[in-house]
Amino acid sequence: MERNMNRIGVSAYIRKPIEKEVIRFKLESFASLIQGHERHYKTLTPKEAINPFNTDIRHFKTTFSIPDAEGMMDFGIWILSRSQNFRESTCAKADTLVELFYELMRRNCRNGEPLEIIIEESFEEMFVTFRCEQPLILSPRITVLTHELGDECIVQAKEVHARLGMQEEFVSPPQNIPSAPDKAAIPESFRLPESEVPQPCFKTPEEPVPIKEIRVIDSDEHAILRRSFTDKTTAADYIRDIGGDVLDEILDLAGLDTEWGESLGKIQDSPSAETITDFANTTLGAYVHAINGLFEFTALAYALSALSGALRENARRIADDPAMLKKLLLFLEHLGHDLSSWRGHLFEQQDAQDIHYLDSSFFSSCMQIEGIITDKQIAAEDDDNDMEFF
Amino acid sequence: MAKKVIIVDDSRAIVATAELALEEMINSGVIEFKSYLNPLDLLGALQSGAESFDLLISDVNMPQMNGLELARAIKADGRFTTKPILILTTESSNEMKMAGKEIGVTGWMVKPFTDDKLVKSIKMVLGV
Repeated sequence: MERNMNRIGVSAYIRKPIEKEVIRFKLESFASLIQGHERHYKTLTPKEAINPFNTDIRHFKTTFSIPDAEGMMDFGIWILSRSQNFRESTCAKADTLVELFYELMRRNCRNGEPLEIIIEESFEEMFVTFRCEQPLILSPRITVLTHELGDECIVQAKEVHARLGMQEEFVSPPQNIPSAPDKAAIPESFRLPESEVPQPCFKTPEEPVPIKEIRVIDSDEHAILRRSFTDKTTAADYIRDIGGDVLDEILDLAGLDTEWGESLGKIQDSPSAETITDFANTTLGAYVHAINGLFEFTALAYALSALSGALRENARRIADDPAMLKKLLLFLEHLGHDLSSWRGHLFEQQDAQDIHYLDSSFFSSCMQIEGIITDKQIAAEDDDNDMEFF
Repeated sequence: MAKKVIIVDDSRAIVATAELALEEMINSGVIEFKSYLNPLDLLGALQSGAESFDLLISDVNMPQMNGLELARAIKADGRFTTKPILILTTESSNEMKMAGKEIGVTGWMVKPFTDDKLVKSIKMVLGV
């Protein structure tokens, strides 16, 4: 029987008839265990609740200072060993959380400035806060991981909050903070000056940062974006080498500048899927056709072709959304100027130091426009070097 | 007082995207935003004293002048040696980054960029 009781988790098994001494020893032993636990953790005061999920503030707090990957590994081992006490689904979340914090560390640990991870915990739940001195830098992978954690994760400007083992929906700030006593009831000699009166500082959590759906850049697109030409060809050298017919065709594109503007005017005057599709097919199509004839500029042709496809696919929703349409028209107008300027620097003034100066930049502009019309974040999932500070 | 952020990029579409991303900071008076399509124009204005900045964001591949050449020329001028320069480009090779680091640029951002990332970088560099 005693073995069965121990197996199901009873803390002590005392046999009858009861011996006073045995009960006293057992109680002393429990008291000592609890004191030890309290010594190990810091007790939170109501003012110190950090994690907005933490509505029961009478918990303990542990702080990790993470200077590097090794520090993060220590934290990972600690939290994974602790989360084994929780239910199975929580263990899976702990794995995701560790990966999320590792990614956050990689992006945000800079200049030897340590990051903080603060654990507030009870015997049943853990509230984990990742804190950075500077505004957090996110990445596509971080966005994916926060999606996986769903409602159990809040991303703020400098902090990421998560909870493990919680079963309820997010609840409002705690109700158990006692209200301030009536001033009149406190004898004057005991009153603190107004400036020294401690103020409760539990904050309503900020609005979570909205997270957009991600459209991951595929390998072909990545190759075009990250293409680097080590041997630069100047516009003057290039023009000397190409045939006159091709040059004439490109110079004829000057006529398309007018058509570009007129087509955008048509969309503005009568926004519809038809006018947008017509711009994609006719105006962009003419550019794609002409540039496709130049072997060196297939990347530009690809970018225009991809943009044309995105416009056709989203023509209906663009036409139905005046704000999006306004933005799109502005960007298309600028894109037209960029193409016109490119033509000038390469084929007219021939003053470009590098004929490929626009290629990847133009493709990236087209992708940003695609991001606006599809309301998605365009990003390379495996691009670890998209932001770096020296 | 608003910090002056200048972006130099030959692409009007990129300048417009950046301006839209920074709209809130501009409207709230945190930053003042100005753009140049030609790095030579910016360099001339800086050298004549007609222009100054708290943060410069520059593209690399531009028709008349490379962004790293621009950064080198600006850093060589004693008035701007300590001013932060961020590079915003599609170039992501380590060689290019190393070249930028040697010139003294503050950071390197790769296009396409998200609004959030641009805002955070600027806030971080300017401490606003």
